[in-house]
Amino acid sequence: MTDTLTLEVADVPSAEVEEPTREASSIEMQGLHKRFGRDTVALAGVDLVIEAGEFFTLLGPSGCGKTTLLRILAGLEEADDGRLAIGGDDVTEVPPHKRSVNTVFQSYALFPHLSVRENLAFGLKMRGMPPGQREARVAKIAEFIQLGDLVERRVDQLSGGQRQRIALARALVNEPDVLLLDEPLSALDAGLRSQLQVELLRVQKRLGMTFVFVTHDQDEAMVMSDRIAVLNGGVIQQVGPPREVYEHPANAFVARFMGHDNLYSISARNGDRLTTPLGVLSVEAAGEDDLLLIRPETLDLLSGEQPGDNRLLATVTERLYRGSHAEYRLDVGQTTLQATLNNRGRRLPEVGDRVTVSVAPEDLVTLSK
Amino acid sequence: MKKRTLKRTLTGFWLFTLAFLYLPLTVVALFSFNASNSAARFTGFSWRWYERLLGNEEILSAFANSMVLAIVSSVIALVVGCLIGYGMYRHRHRKLGWLIVLIYLPIVLPDIVFGISEMAFFVQVHRLTGFLQPGLGTMIIAHVTFQIPFVALIVYSRFVGLDPTLFEAAKDLYATPIKRVFHFMLPTIKPALISAFFLSFTLSVDDFVISFFTAGPESATLPIYIWGAIKKGVSPEINAIATLMIAAVAIVAAISLIFSRRRQA
Repeated sequence: MTDTLTLEVADVPSAEVEEPTREASSIEMQGLHKRFGRDTVALAGVDLVIEAGEFFTLLGPSGCGKTTLLRILAGLEEADDGRLAIGGDDVTEVPPHKRSVNTVFQSYALFPHLSVRENLAFGLKMRGMPPGQREARVAKIAEFIQLGDLVERRVDQLSGGQRQRIALARALVNEPDVLLLDEPLSALDAGLRSQLQVELLRVQKRLGMTFVFVTHDQDEAMVMSDRIAVLNGGVIQQVGPPREVYEHPANAFVARFMGHDNLYSISARNGDRLTTPLGVLSVEAAGEDDLLLIRPETLDLLSGEQPGDNRLLATVTERLYRGSHAEYRLDVGQTTLQATLNNRGRRLPEVGDRVTVSVAPEDLVTLSK
Repeated sequence: MKKRTLKRTLTGFWLFTLAFLYLPLTVVALFSFNASNSAARFTGFSWRWYERLLGNEEILSAFANSMVLAIVSSVIALVVGCLIGYGMYRHRHRKLGWLIVLIYLPIVLPDIVFGISEMAFFVQVHRLTGFLQPGLGTMIIAHVTFQIPFVALIVYSRFVGLDPTLFEAAKDLYATPIKRVFHFMLPTIKPALISAFFLSFTLSVDDFVISFFTAGPESATLPIYIWGAIKKGVSPEINAIATLMIAAVAIVAAISLIFSRRRQA
């Protein structure tokens, strides 16, 4: 059995698939707190506004509170304190079955006692929609997500990717104000995963629905999101578009979580010249921050020793060849620096080579601990 | 060569076990069709013992008692056991969750101890309140008591085997608490409920010891009747009842097995 994956959602003529006309809803969270037992703090005061129609991602390591926050949005968990409004209506104490919010669960949670078609119609049936209308809506969503003959199958005849698409359709068919996605792609293999990322993104853009997506994978977050909130220890560390979070992380945690390793403490500053364990480097604008971030892909490696301003002399200690690029580990004196070099046909320095690292002041970012 | 010998030995064991289990049943079935009333010699085929059965008021009433007892007690045990099974599932992470082993007591307790306890209890209650006179009512209570743990265990293990997120998906998809019961929980555990019912039913029909201690003068079941009749000697009539019971239990067990198979699939 093969996955009938098609990525042509955007090409379906809009005359055939009528798009929901309802307006997307914003989400406002104020001072949300959640504790499990006596000692486990899941959320320590979350204030967040998610705009209507946004693809918004909650990103963080396991135990950071992202899933708890999503479950509070769904109504599956009640906040100890704080308020939650969806589309301007306070839903803090509204039970899940009365919220116009649907969830795509990590385990998909398709009902084993029902066929795929009955799974898709479940939400509509529970809301009391007559069978005729139900069937029409199910047929519409099946066409929109291009489920084809999957609708006729039993749940136990579906592969992982197919289950994921059914779970998505089962949530979307209800035309909720907000769609919540709890790591919906984490159980799939890499290839299928990136295909479904694209499909999910297209669905969201076409429907204009507010999507709240939970993941621990920063690459996935960057690909999908309009904005990302990075969480740690139940506290939001930073909220912003992917580029801002990646290129200007608010603090060391966000920087490390986004995959940055080149973080150096600033021991002294003289105007825009900062003293770091690597040496003295010029930046464009030095604030009062105490950490310097150097993104590996902004560095240039020159062969041999070519000293100059914002240049560091280094020795190559490790090289990981990745085809399209190579990752370097360099020793600058006693300090390690990582660099990424695009493979553009030039000679890639080898382990043991003496090289000169050229650092552009405009690429350097400072941040607080 | 060695492997073949082993295989033959194992096949031999298998055949021996089958014979050990089913030969006595076959003998009973065979002699229920015996033309004479000899328990030793088969003299020819006849339906006469089955015809005698149908004319025996005592046997028919015992059969009716057995059926009423089995059906009523199984239905009650199914409802109560299902609720207990769900309760066990919901509270399985509680600190005192282990206390639930108390419900398994009737499974491990010898029937005779259980039966005597029930009898002593009913006698006391009757003496003090006038209620619970030994009869079909007390037998139903006693049967429900020993059926409940089996039902609860079957329902509990079905719930444990489910993805816990399903409960949340039902909530998320607008099902009210009542609709969650009727559109999600009951349909999902239906195969378990069916096999639990048939198990309860067979346990009840099978039971002699507990029935014996809790029965009244008017409420003899088939096993009690057989026990009484056998004191006067084994008649081919008893063979006929036994054969019918074997057939009935085999059918019910087969249905129950089919449903538990489907549950696992």
